[in-house]
Amino acid sequence: MRTLLAFVIIASFAKAETILYRAAAIHPADSGVIINGQMLVKDGEIVAIGTKLATPEVFREIDLGKLQVYPGLIAATTSLGLTEINAVRATQDTSEVGEFTPDVEAWVSVNPDSELIPVARANGFTHALVAPMGGTVTGTSGLIKTDGWGVEDMTVKSRVALHMMWPSLSINTTPKETMRDPDKFKSPKEQAKQREKKLLDIDRFFDDAEAYAKARKQDAAFKLIPAWEATLDVISKKQPIVIHANYEQQIISAVKWSKKRNYQIIIAAGLDAWRVGELLAKNNIPVVLDNVFRLPQRDTDPHDINFRSAGILHQAGVKIAHSVKMGNWGATEIRNIIYAASRSMAYGLPRDVALKSITLHPAQMLNADSKLGSLTKGKEASFIATDGDLFDIRTNVKRMWINGKEVSLESRHTRLYEKYKNRPKPKGLRQ
Amino acid sequence: MRILVKFSCTLLLGAMILSPAEIQPPGERPVSTGAHALVGGRTIIKPGVLIKNGTIIIRNGRIRSVFETGKLPIPPDCRVWRMDGKTIYAGFIEPYLSIGDDKANPVSNRWTVPIDARSSINFKGVPTTKGDMGDIGPGYGIEEIRPQYKVSDTFSPNEKEFSALRELGYTAGNLIPTSGIIRGSSTSVLLGQGDPNNLILDPSTLQHMAFSPAKNYPKSLMGVIAAIRQTVFDTIHYQKMRTWTEQNQGLSRMKYNPALAAMENVIAPDNKQRVAVETGSVLMIARTAKLSEELGFEPIIVATGQEWRRPEILKKHAFDYILPVTFPAAPDLPDEMDWNMVSLDQLRTWDWAPEIPALLSKNNREFSFTIHGLTSLKPYRKNIQKSIERGLTEKAALTALTTHPAKLLGMSSLLGTIEKGKLANLTIVDGESWFNSENQVSGVWIEGRHFPNHSTPTKTEKDAKQKNVKLEPVTAKNPSNYRGVLKNPTNIIIRNATIWTSGQTGILSNANMHIKNGRITAIGPISSLPDSPDTFIIDAKGRHVTPGLIDCHSHSMILGGVNEGTLPSTAMVRIGDVVNSETENIYRQLAGGLTTANLLHGSANPIGGQNAVIKLRFGELPDDMIFKKAPAGIKFALGENVKQSNWGDDRKTRFPQTRMGVKTFFNNRFIKSRQYLEKKNNPQMGNNKPQRRDLELEAIGEIIEGKRLIHCHSYRQDEMLIFLRTMERFGVRVGTLQHVLEGYKIADEIASHGAGASSFSDWWAYKFEVYDAIPYNGSLLHARGVSVSFNSDSSDLARRMNLEAAKAVKYGAVSEEEALKFVTINPAKQLRIDKWVGSLEIGKDADFVIWNGHPLNTQTLCDETWIEGKQYYDRSKSAARAKAMADERKTLLTKLRSNGKGEKTELSARALFFRQALEKAHLLNNCYECKKGKP
Repeated sequence: MRTLLAFVIIASFAKAETILYRAAAIHPADSGVIINGQMLVKDGEIVAIGTKLATPEVFREIDLGKLQVYPGLIAATTSLGLTEINAVRATQDTSEVGEFTPDVEAWVSVNPDSELIPVARANGFTHALVAPMGGTVTGTSGLIKTDGWGVEDMTVKSRVALHMMWPSLSINTTPKETMRDPDKFKSPKEQAKQREKKLLDIDRFFDDAEAYAKARKQDAAFKLIPAWEATLDVISKKQPIVIHANYEQQIISAVKWSKKRNYQIIIAAGLDAWRVGELLAKNNIPVVLDNVFRLPQRDTDPHDINFRSAGILHQAGVKIAHSVKMGNWGATEIRNIIYAASRSMAYGLPRDVALKSITLHPAQMLNADSKLGSLTKGKEASFIATDGDLFDIRTNVKRMWINGKEVSLESRHTRLYEKYKNRPKPKGLRQ
Repeated sequence: MRILVKFSCTLLLGAMILSPAEIQPPGERPVSTGAHALVGGRTIIKPGVLIKNGTIIIRNGRIRSVFETGKLPIPPDCRVWRMDGKTIYAGFIEPYLSIGDDKANPVSNRWTVPIDARSSINFKGVPTTKGDMGDIGPGYGIEEIRPQYKVSDTFSPNEKEFSALRELGYTAGNLIPTSGIIRGSSTSVLLGQGDPNNLILDPSTLQHMAFSPAKNYPKSLMGVIAAIRQTVFDTIHYQKMRTWTEQNQGLSRMKYNPALAAMENVIAPDNKQRVAVETGSVLMIARTAKLSEELGFEPIIVATGQEWRRPEILKKHAFDYILPVTFPAAPDLPDEMDWNMVSLDQLRTWDWAPEIPALLSKNNREFSFTIHGLTSLKPYRKNIQKSIERGLTEKAALTALTTHPAKLLGMSSLLGTIEKGKLANLTIVDGESWFNSENQVSGVWIEGRHFPNHSTPTKTEKDAKQKNVKLEPVTAKNPSNYRGVLKNPTNIIIRNATIWTSGQTGILSNANMHIKNGRITAIGPISSLPDSPDTFIIDAKGRHVTPGLIDCHSHSMILGGVNEGTLPSTAMVRIGDVVNSETENIYRQLAGGLTTANLLHGSANPIGGQNAVIKLRFGELPDDMIFKKAPAGIKFALGENVKQSNWGDDRKTRFPQTRMGVKTFFNNRFIKSRQYLEKKNNPQMGNNKPQRRDLELEAIGEIIEGKRLIHCHSYRQDEMLIFLRTMERFGVRVGTLQHVLEGYKIADEIASHGAGASSFSDWWAYKFEVYDAIPYNGSLLHARGVSVSFNSDSSDLARRMNLEAAKAVKYGAVSEEEALKFVTINPAKQLRIDKWVGSLEIGKDADFVIWNGHPLNTQTLCDETWIEGKQYYDRSKSAARAKAMADERKTLLTKLRSNGKGEKTELSARALFFRQALEKAHLLNNCYECKKGKP
C-alpha cells in the first residue's frame, strides 16, 4: 500500500515538475539548430527553449550530454496497430469492403499491444496517423501516440482526415491473348467509359453528402445517416481529405476535382507527384510521399528519380512529408521513414526540410501542429534524444518523451536481442 | 484425348463437304490432257532470274520446260493460257502454317509462374517416374512433350483457309503442331482440294519445339529448357537400352516409348530431322544455340520481332529463320494523357519491327516469311512491302517465299523454282510484281491444276481513299547506345583515396591503388607507390573507394519466371539458362555500387533450381555476364513457402505440407541421389545396365560430392538446425543459410557447422515465421563467429547495399569496417569467389566503387562503378543518359502519332503494340508491395 501511494505521489509530482533538459544540440524543426541547447518543460509542455534559459526556483535538470534532441517523429499515413502479420489474415484489420464507407473509423481498432508499435517507437516515432484502406472513400483516420495503456489513452486526435483511394485511371493495355484471364479483357474504349463512371460515382456521392449537410444545418432533427454524417467536417472544410494516388493522371484528376468542389486535400503516395509539382504548389496541396524506395515507373525515368522526387517537389513549392505505404509492410517499416527522408536529402532536399518532412509538416497537414511537430514554446514536450545525426543510419535513438513523460524504447526486437545475446554456448559443439 | 476428338470432328465435316463432288456421274466431262502452256508472262524462274516473255510447259502436274516465248514450239496437246501483263513466280510456300480451330498463337511471353503444383505432382519428384501418363496414351511423362505426334495423322484440307492462302499466292504449306513443348512433326501439303492422301507432300518435315509452359511441370522458362534437356538424355538412354536388352535378352525387355523413338530422328548423327524452335525471346535464340550444341539437334529459329535488341545474336549463330511479319501499329488511346504510359521500349519495338527482315539479311541470315501470328491475312503483303521500303531487297523477299522455305522443308527438288521436273506450282499476279500489294493475285497453279482467284479485288473504295503511307526510316536507337563500358584504360591509378580494402590491411587513408589489365597490382600509402606516365589517373581526394558490392540473394536479372514452383524438387532447372542481360535493373544496381549478384531460384519448393553468380557487365550477353569461376550452387528452401502455407486452400496436397515433411523430403532425395552416384561411379552394377542420366539427381549428387553449394532459404531456428543436421548426415556443409532470420538463436550451431548466414538487415512480420526476425540478427551471428552477409532479395534494395551494411552498425554496434564486409568480402566468401572479388588486394579483380563520401553515410552517393578495370557507371553521365532516352521517346512518340495517321490498321496489330518483350516483362512484376509480401 505504501509503495503504491508513493508511486502515485511521484507520478503526480512528476507531472507538476519543471525540468530543464540540456543537450549537445537541439533541433526544434521550426527554427535552426541550437548548439548546447536547453529546453524547459513544465507539465508536459515546453515553456522555453534556447541556450541560457531562466529557470524557476524549483526545477530538476536532465543533462543529456552528447545526445541531440529532435521533435518526436510523426508517421503521416500508416496502418499501424491494424495489422500484425501480413500472411495471417486473422491479424489484418486494415481494409474494409465497400466503395463508400466514410463512417469507418480507423483509430478505434488499433491493437495497443501490437508488437509493431514499440518497434516504430524505438527509432523515434512518437506519433502515427492510422488510416483505413478499402474501397474509394475508405473512412476516417486518427492520430495516435505510440505509447499508452489502451486505445483511448493513445488517441491524440480522432477524426483527423477522410481518406480516399483515387480510382486507377490507367488503361490496362495488356493484349487479350496475353492476359491471365482473357475473359476479363476490356478494350481501351470500354475502360475509358468505366473510369469516367468511377469519377462520376465519386461526384454523386459528394453531391448527396452536401445535400445532407445542408439539410442537417437547416433541420437538426433531420434523419441521421452515419455515412453522410462522417463527411460533414470535410464539407465544412474542418477536415482535409487525404487522397491516395500514385500516377500523374490520378493526381491531376484529384486536384481538378478538389478545386471544383473546393475541398481541402492532401495527396498521399504520390509516385508521380514530381511531374506535377507546379500544379500542386499552385493549389497549395501538400504531398505525403511513400515511394522514395521504389524503382522508377518508366523506362525513361532517371534511375534515381524517386530519390529526387521530394527535392523536386520542395523546389516547386510543395509541402512534403515522408511516410510508409499503407498496409502491413509499411507498418513494419515505419522506423525506416527517417532513411527515406535522408535519401531525399542526399538527392537535393535541404536538411531542414527533410527534418520537417517527418515532424512539422505531417503535424501541419494533420492539423496537429498546435501541439506537435516542433519544439517550441507552448507545444507538447514530445521529443527524442539521439546519439548522432538523426538522418544517419548508424545513429540510435537513446531516449524518448511523449507529452513530457519518458517512455520505454524496448521492443520485441530488443527483448529477443538481450535474450539471445546472453545465450550460453551450447556444450559439445565442434569448433 | 480432347485433341483427338477435335480432329475426328474435322474429318467428318470434311467428308460431308466433299461428298457432292464425288457423286457426279462418270463420263460426263472429258478428262483433261493435263498439258498446259502458260505463254507471254514475266516469268521469274527463281529469285533474280527473269524471262521477260516466257513460256512454261506443264504436263502431268510437273513443269516440263521453261523458255523464252517462241524459242521452242508449244506442244500441240497443250492448252494455251495467255499471260500477258502478268508475272509468274514459283508457287509460294508457307513454312509455319496453322489454320482453323487449331491456329497456333505465338508463344506467350507471360510466364506468370504461380506458386503452383497440386495433387498431380507426386512425391518422387520428377513426373517421368509417374505410373500412368494420364489419358494421352503411351509417351513421355510430360504431356507437353510429344515428339511422336504427326500433323499428317489428322490432316484434312480446310478449303476455306486454303483458298484464302491461295488468294495470297500460296500453293503449299507446312502444317505445324500447335501446342506443347516438343510438339511433334509438321506435315507439308499442297494447298489444293480433294483427297488428303494426294495433298500430303511429306508427312514429317520438321520437328517442333516451343518455349512455352506446361500444365503441370514445367511452368517456367528455365523449367522448359530443363525438360528439353532431360528428354534428349532420356532418348540417348532409350537407345542404349535397346542395345543392352538385345544383348541381355534373358534379363529385361525393351520398354516401348514412342516419344523417345521419335526424338531419335532429332538427335541422329546424320540426316537429322531439323527442329523449328519458337523461342519467344531474342535471348533464347542464343540459348537455343548453346542447347543445340549440347544436345545435338539442328535448329531453325522462329523469329520473335525482337531481334533488333541483339543483332549480334543473329550474326553469331548461323541459323535459318522463319520470320513472322506481325508489325505493331499505333494504338488507339482514349485520352491524351493515356499516351504517357507508352514506353520507350514499346516505341522502339514498333519502329524497328519492319526493319527486322532487312536486319536478318544484313547479317547474312536466310529466312522464310510466315503468316504465323497474324490474326488476319490482310496486312500480310503490306507488311512485306514495308520491309522492302526498309531495305529488304525484292530478291531476298522472293527467296523468303519460294526457294528458302523449299530448302527448309527439304523439298527443293519439288518446289521453290520454275524449273524442269518440279511440281507445277505457280503463283500468278496481275502486273509487274507481287510486292506491290495493289496487284491482285490472279490465281495459282498447284501440281498442274489451276485455281483462279475469284475473290473481289482486295482494294475497297475505302482503301482507295486511304493515303498510301510511306514508311519513314528507322530512328529508334539500339539499347547498346545506352549501355556498355564507359572507360577501359589498361592502367589505372587511383590517388589520395580512403580505401576500404575489406582485407588484411583494413581501411587505408590517403592511399593509392594501381590497376593493370583489370587486376589490382598495388595498393598502399602514396609514398610507396610511384606513378607511371601512361596511365589513367583518378584523383579521389576526399572520396572513398570500396570493393564492388556483392548481393548474395538476387532475382533481378531472370527471364521467364523466378520459380519453377511446381515439383517439390526442381534441382534440374538452371538460372544460368535464363539470365536477363536486357533489364534496366543492371544499370540501376551499378548506380548503387553493386558489381556481383547471386541470382537465385525462388523458394517455392524444398529443392529449387541451380543458381548463377553474375557480374553486372551491362551490355554483355547473358553467358558473358556469368561469373565463370564461381562454383556451382543451388537454392533450397524451408518453411512456409515450401509447405505452401500462404497460397490458399487449393494448395494442400503437394508433399511436404509440414516442417516434418520438409526434412523427410530432403532425406529421401539425398538417399536417392547417393544411390544414383553409386551406380554412376560403378557402371558395371546391375549387369552393366545403362544408367539413365537424371538431371535432378545429378545436381543433388554434386552437392554430396562437394561440387555444388546449397543456399537455403530458411527462417525458424528449429527448421534450420534439423536441416544442418540432415545435411551433416550426408557429409554436406551448407554454403549459406539465406534470410536466416532466427539464425541468432542458433548462432553457435551455425558457426560450428560452418554455414554462412546471408540475412535481410531488418525485414520482419510479413509471415508468421518471421515474427521473431530482429535487426540484430547480423550482429549477433557475427559476434559468434558466423560469416554474415546482408542481401537484398529486392531490385530496389540492391541499389543501396552499403546502407544496408550501415544497419549492422546501428543494430548491435558492429564496427564500420566489419559492417562493410557484410556486403563485400563476406558474401564473396559465402559464394567461394573471395579469391577474385570482395576485397581490394593485389591480384584480385579490379571491381571497385568510388563514393563521394563515407560509404556508410546516408548522404553519400556512388560516383563510379568499375568491374575488372572497366567503368560501367559514372554519376556525372547518368542524367544525360536519362535525358537522351526521354528525348528519344518524345521523338518516337511524335513519329508514331503523325506517321500512322490515316492508315487502316488491324486491331491485333494495335494490341501487339503493347505486347511486352519477355526481356522487359519483368516490369510487369515490379510491384514493390507484391514482391515484398512474400520473400
